[in-house]
Amino acid sequence: MGRGSAGFLALLGAAALALLGTLHFVAYVVPTEASMGIVQKIFYFHVPSAYAMYLGATACFIGSAGYLVRGTLRWDALARAGAEVAVAMGLMVLISGPLWAAKAWGVYWTWDPRLTTSMLSVLVYVAYVVLRAFAGDGEAERKFAAALGVLGAANLPIIHYSVQKWGGNHPKVITSGGGGLQHPDMKLGLVLGFLSFTLLAALLIWQRMRLAMTSSRLGELTEEALELGIDED
Amino acid sequence: MRISPVRSLPPFAAQAAAAPAATSTPTTPTVEERGQAFRPVQGGDMQSGEMLLVEAYAAIWLIAFALILLSWRRQQKLDGRLQALEAALERARRAKGSGDG
Repeated sequence: MGRGSAGFLALLGAAALALLGTLHFVAYVVPTEASMGIVQKIFYFHVPSAYAMYLGATACFIGSAGYLVRGTLRWDALARAGAEVAVAMGLMVLISGPLWAAKAWGVYWTWDPRLTTSMLSVLVYVAYVVLRAFAGDGEAERKFAAALGVLGAANLPIIHYSVQKWGGNHPKVITSGGGGLQHPDMKLGLVLGFLSFTLLAALLIWQRMRLAMTSSRLGELTEEALELGIDED
Repeated sequence: MRISPVRSLPPFAAQAAAAPAATSTPTTPTVEERGQAFRPVQGGDMQSGEMLLVEAYAAIWLIAFALILLSWRRQQKLDGRLQALEAALERARRAKGSGDG
């Protein structure tokens, strides 16, 4: 087993343990919220998944900018992996949020500024992933995707500050204007959620980046094989 | 003799009808009304919080593990193809080298 595989398995184990530990802590230790009841416990995974979406989107931005400057496949693989993780985490946010809203607001969805900007961001990264999946893997496509990865990141601060600038229904519990989490175990539950989703995002970015690089290497070797007249099958 | 409608019901239904009758309010329907009309409750619970919580957690875990599993399987497949291709290229290069020499 190579060093990379051992590191990957160690990260997989750490992420799995952290997620299970957080799940146990949130289910059995964190107190139930007074007005909303047990459905509020969605919060301890919903907020960290939104934060992990930012991590994926930031990785996509760094990778895209790196590819535009350096033009190497490693940067491109980071951008691609980041976008895929941003989509996965964004879907978690867009599923868990409405399930909470169904109980708290009585509707699954409303065109609140934070919800709208979050959905817009997820759609930007879905567009990136679809582009990479169907538009080929040439240099022009990679550069176009990198521009999208850089421009797509512009929406991230808008999501973050939308709730403060434009109001809306979205809770402001952990922002400066909010009342905060009023029990130490609630705070610890959220910290554990952030920790486990950091590990999960790192694991997924590593895994998808490795996959993207293997795929690019395979493409290069296939071209070389065709030049030498080798039939891959 | 006037027979009460409650008495004409089976015993279990008569009990059910008699119990709320003691504290009956204008909004409490009678057994007959319950059988003939369904009334909505304003502001009642439409969703179980427990069920929504389970659905949200299930979705999160499903997405995370599906992505990990699919990536793992694809990586194994690509690694296999890459090794086979590298071996084939190595053989082709050696053959070309011995042919040139």
